[in-house]
Amino acid sequence: MSATTTEAVPGRVLAALAARQIVRGALVVTAICAGMSALVVAMYSAQALDPTALVALARNPAIRTLFGEPVALDEAGGFTVWRTGAVLTVLLGVWSSLAATRITRGEEDAGRWHLLLSGRTTLTDTVRRHLEVLAVVPLVAGAATAAAMIAAGAGVTGSLLHGAGLAMAGFFFVAVGGLTAQLFPGRSAANGAAAAVLVLGLLTRMVGDGVPALAWLRWLSPFGLVALIRAFDTNRVLPVAVLACAAVILLALTGRLAARRDVGDAVLATAGGRPARTTLLGSVHAFAARRTLRPLAGWVAGIAAYFLLIGLIARSMTDFLTTNPQFAKSAAQAGFALGTVEGYVATLFALLAVAVGVFVAVLLAAVAADENARRLTLLFAAPVTRVRLLAAEAVAASGAALILVTVAAVAVWAGTTTVGAGLTLVDALAGAFNVVPVVLLCLGAAVLALGWTPRAVAGIGALPAAGGFLWQVIADSINAPSWIGALSPFAHLDGVPATAPNLPAAAVMTAVAAACVTIGAAGYHRRDLQA
Amino acid sequence: MGVAAVRTENLSKRYGRLCAVDDLTLHVAAGEVFGFLGPNGAGKSTTIRLLLGLARPTTGRAWIFDTDAADVGVAHRRLAYVPADVALWPRMTGAEVLDLLARVGPGIDAAYRDELVERFALDVSKPAGTYSTGNRQKVALVAAFATRAPLLVLDEPTSGLDPLMELEFRRAVTAARDNGQTVFLSSHQLAEVEAVCDRVAILRAGTLIEVASVAALRRLHRTEVTATFAGTPPDLSGVAGVAGYHPDGAASVRFTLNGSPAAALRALADADAVAIAVREPSLEEIFLAYYGQDAR
Repeated sequence: MSATTTEAVPGRVLAALAARQIVRGALVVTAICAGMSALVVAMYSAQALDPTALVALARNPAIRTLFGEPVALDEAGGFTVWRTGAVLTVLLGVWSSLAATRITRGEEDAGRWHLLLSGRTTLTDTVRRHLEVLAVVPLVAGAATAAAMIAAGAGVTGSLLHGAGLAMAGFFFVAVGGLTAQLFPGRSAANGAAAAVLVLGLLTRMVGDGVPALAWLRWLSPFGLVALIRAFDTNRVLPVAVLACAAVILLALTGRLAARRDVGDAVLATAGGRPARTTLLGSVHAFAARRTLRPLAGWVAGIAAYFLLIGLIARSMTDFLTTNPQFAKSAAQAGFALGTVEGYVATLFALLAVAVGVFVAVLLAAVAADENARRLTLLFAAPVTRVRLLAAEAVAASGAALILVTVAAVAVWAGTTTVGAGLTLVDALAGAFNVVPVVLLCLGAAVLALGWTPRAVAGIGALPAAGGFLWQVIADSINAPSWIGALSPFAHLDGVPATAPNLPAAAVMTAVAAACVTIGAAGYHRRDLQA
Repeated sequence: MGVAAVRTENLSKRYGRLCAVDDLTLHVAAGEVFGFLGPNGAGKSTTIRLLLGLARPTTGRAWIFDTDAADVGVAHRRLAYVPADVALWPRMTGAEVLDLLARVGPGIDAAYRDELVERFALDVSKPAGTYSTGNRQKVALVAAFATRAPLLVLDEPTSGLDPLMELEFRRAVTAARDNGQTVFLSSHQLAEVEAVCDRVAILRAGTLIEVASVAALRRLHRTEVTATFAGTPPDLSGVAGVAGYHPDGAASVRFTLNGSPAAALRALADADAVAIAVREPSLEEIFLAYYGQDAR
């Protein structure tokens, strides 16, 4: 028997193992990147933009801050990069870093690597091989995007550079995820650190784009570097190279750190004891709140910073649009009613719905992960019904979501007040709370998934917000029939505080969310636990 | 007879075509220390999951002190559980986990908990992420014993413990028994089951094949005898109760004895035996006899 056994190559086996864990997500991400880019190129109709207005647009700091520097909007490719580039870079970055921590730190924490590493491979090799395989995904996604854009009729050089920028940004976040997985003991901490890098990168890009004196800051941010490529305009290669070098350096550092630590341990692990902190341990509700605090703190910081910035640029944005009516018109066509501070803030609160919806989905996905890792088993063995446990988690997630919504409103208000844009706190709160029905839909979808398909909680939970937002962007971009656009919950959010809220739609969304929660709770009560 | 601590009736659990637990009817009296034996994959953990309401039975029912096992809000007020593989939140310290379980669980004897922490030599100030398998198991054991719950469901609770800690575990089980608590102990450690259990159920391929007291189980099986003679050993194969007779060297024989030993002893005396060794089979040997080669 042993004589006929083929000698397996450890590296190849590891690569196959890594590939198996990411192939499905990789296909989805690649399809979204290539599909969305091709769609926007194909549907780009020469909406004759006035050249002088174009110059004004490129100069406006607010436009630059929000959407990135508008470059070559007179060309299908340039317009596509401006319209989808930032969203896709963030999407690819988020997926890459999450996948990196999942297949390295997640597998290691679950104890599965102990068995793996008892074989002929070392920890360093295993980490490196997993990240190498993962790094192929952004490269494929970038190549597919470039190919799709070229096929749809965009210029070759610009498409290739845009694809390369996208690929390198994804590659960079593979390395970031790999690095934080070495630094922190636990996947959630590693994810939090990677998310902090991502948000900081975004904010740095926004500041660099918005404040001419600080334009150099963009060289320090992966998103800034992607913007500096100026695909379809000057087509610079240097930013791509810088991004690639940064990623390679981080990857090398990851290998060095992996070599220095023990299996199951982390560079920043604190092995020492500490006094017990027994607050919020008294009930399942309190415990759910306790576990929400740490992620909430991170999200509060990110959302507060982002919406403060939105508030600070409100004045310059609206002034620009009132003096350039053509842009106000084309922005309105694209679904942005940006002419007044209220309209501008209302439009940007759609992004709040996406962020908070994803936040809620992530929290409930953590419950599914806890169940899967059997951490909840001892609680399930306590005299607590499953429905009460689920209710505790759902209440904690909803409460945290409302805190985030409030933080966003206060941050926008603080920003607009600082620049004297004249937005009242009540208006800011009304606008922020207007998106709560979408967040509730995410909660409902996540609970539904937890009850019936616990492996897909994050994806299904984020669908109403992230999927709905993308759906609306695509539907707008391709001038789809109105019933297609109406499938997105965002089509039913009116521009509060610029207009009155769409209360019937809010009621319907809340009712759908409640139905989802009920059906999900029934499934959760019924099914076998993975504990 | 009082209320059974654990009762199942025709309990079955199917996963697709696999039948993990097949028509299990079990009765564990209150105050009993009940061993639950079986090889890997026999369905022990699945049975426990059904008893705890973590999984739903395909058919049949289970009760904990006459409460439907599915009604966990009531049933779990009277039990504590130690899983086979204890997973804890890595950033919480042992003390925090114990505190959480005490406050969410069925109540606690705080003084006894502190004593158990001491006896199991558990450093509760460390984050659970730094604990070994054995230390995580200790946290769950301390939490379970400290509840003084009427029923303790222990699923291979000592697999990660060293022999000293195993001894502490046996002491804690004995204390629980003296206290009138029921212990449902699933285990591979036959010596442990033999040492602490009153009755044992043996499960194979999801089916209950035997429930007996430890003493009866041992009695069911033959005693092993080795006899040495001054001269040529006699042929005892025809003697009542003797089986598996075979020579063991020039002057010795081995055989197993079933039922009354009188006839065999008389024959040995007549044949001028110079030494005999009588050995009770351990539970392990009984176990192996059950599973033989087709153990799965």
